Amino acid sequence: MAKTGDIKRRIKSINSTKKITKAMEMVAAAKMRKATEAVLRTRTYANLSWGTVLQLSQITGLDHESHHPLLTKRKEIKKIAIILITSNRGLCGSFNTAIINKAYNSIVKHHQSGKVGTDFVLIGKKGRAVYKYFGYNIIAEFPKEDVVSQVKEILPISQMLIDDYLAGKYDKVMVAYTDYVSPTKLIPRVRQLLPVDITTEDEYLGVVGKDTRIGIDKEYVQEKQDKYLYSKDKKLAHEYIFEPSPKEVLNEIVPRLIEVQLFQALLESNASEHSARMAAMHQATDAANEMVDELVLSYNKARQASITSEIAEISAGANALAN
Amino acid sequence: MTDDKLIKFEIVTPERTVLKEMIKQLTVPTKAGEITILPNHIPLIATINPGVITLKKKDETPEVLSVSGGFVEVLKNKVVILADTAERAEEIDIERAEEARKLAEQTMKDMKRTDLETFTNINAVIAKELARSRAAKIWRKLKNIPK
Repeated sequence: MAKTGDIKRRIKSINSTKKITKAMEMVAAAKMRKATEAVLRTRTYANLSWGTVLQLSQITGLDHESHHPLLTKRKEIKKIAIILITSNRGLCGSFNTAIINKAYNSIVKHHQSGKVGTDFVLIGKKGRAVYKYFGYNIIAEFPKEDVVSQVKEILPISQMLIDDYLAGKYDKVMVAYTDYVSPTKLIPRVRQLLPVDITTEDEYLGVVGKDTRIGIDKEYVQEKQDKYLYSKDKKLAHEYIFEPSPKEVLNEIVPRLIEVQLFQALLESNASEHSARMAAMHQATDAANEMVDELVLSYNKARQASITSEIAEISAGANALAN
Repeated sequence: MTDDKLIKFEIVTPERTVLKEMIKQLTVPTKAGEITILPNHIPLIATINPGVITLKKKDETPEVLSVSGGFVEVLKNKVVILADTAERAEEIDIERAEEARKLAEQTMKDMKRTDLETFTNINAVIAKELARSRAAKIWRKLKNIPK
């Protein structure tokens, strides 16, 4: 049986670890509250604007005059860029592994339809693992703030990617982020950012099942069209008027809306990261509690055993003397 | 059908949903000039200039909003405004709006060498504050609030 001193030391060390995990849990909880508020505030805007962009992409697709390069699908896809949003630090459970694996799976799917080059743009330090484990090229790494507040902060990233896309360096830009559905339901997701295209197959997006918000995009736009644009015989009853001109409007709207999408993805990831960390730290605290309980039990047993044996020795000695 | 004569109106900014109402008519400052949207308007998308949005609610009560840019999407009897920032006139503190505008104008005057970026930024602030104070003034006039 272990000595009481050893057990005591272990209990002490576990207790101090517990203090740390407890503190981290509380910090993560505070950050999560902020991040969740931010994500919920912008969600309406992001969803409405995404609907608008998808709608535009479909409608302008019919009409060649109002073609916009950011809305046009390219015939051959040679190179894709993936924006990977991860955390800066670990200790957040499977948060980073999940999103990196998701991105990897999506690349593998792309390879099935021919050779495709992939470059990564990282937001958050932990994304470096894509190079370490899979050997993918990283073209840029942007620092990530723990609490993001302004759209401004992602402007350099979106600007760079839009420029590269227009210059023909990439034929597709995707963003890998973790969707914050509820504190316990975080869904890693890969989503196509450029070109904006409603007909993208779901498997490329990495959407599984129907309960996801992306999955209902098509239905949403379809519904919107049926309700507001088509006449009863399913023909396009009205076309959009653009003011002042399609080109000017699209030039202004599309890049902005893409920024908003990226911003939203970052906010979702942040909220997810903090809630993942909170959950992980909560588990760690619980595990520490359990361990302490067990150790206290064995400490008491050891103490009792040593006292018993001591008494036995003393009484044995006393007996010997009396005789 | 009374339903046909109303527009589902929604104005959202990245921060919040400012207003969501059934309305009768709406006037928006777009880049090509001010437009008024009535029920059964055909679909339209336009960029918005900083300015004042006025609208009439279901019960004919007016509502005034200030907006600093964004765009408006008109669908059949549904209007969505995606604004950069927007405020309802009744929420605007007119003195503070005026003050903010003056401060921005002063900064612009004080600057000797300006690069294009800061110049446009300050210009945007001025336009926004001007729109805010104008919205607040129109609102006061409508409600007959003395100065």
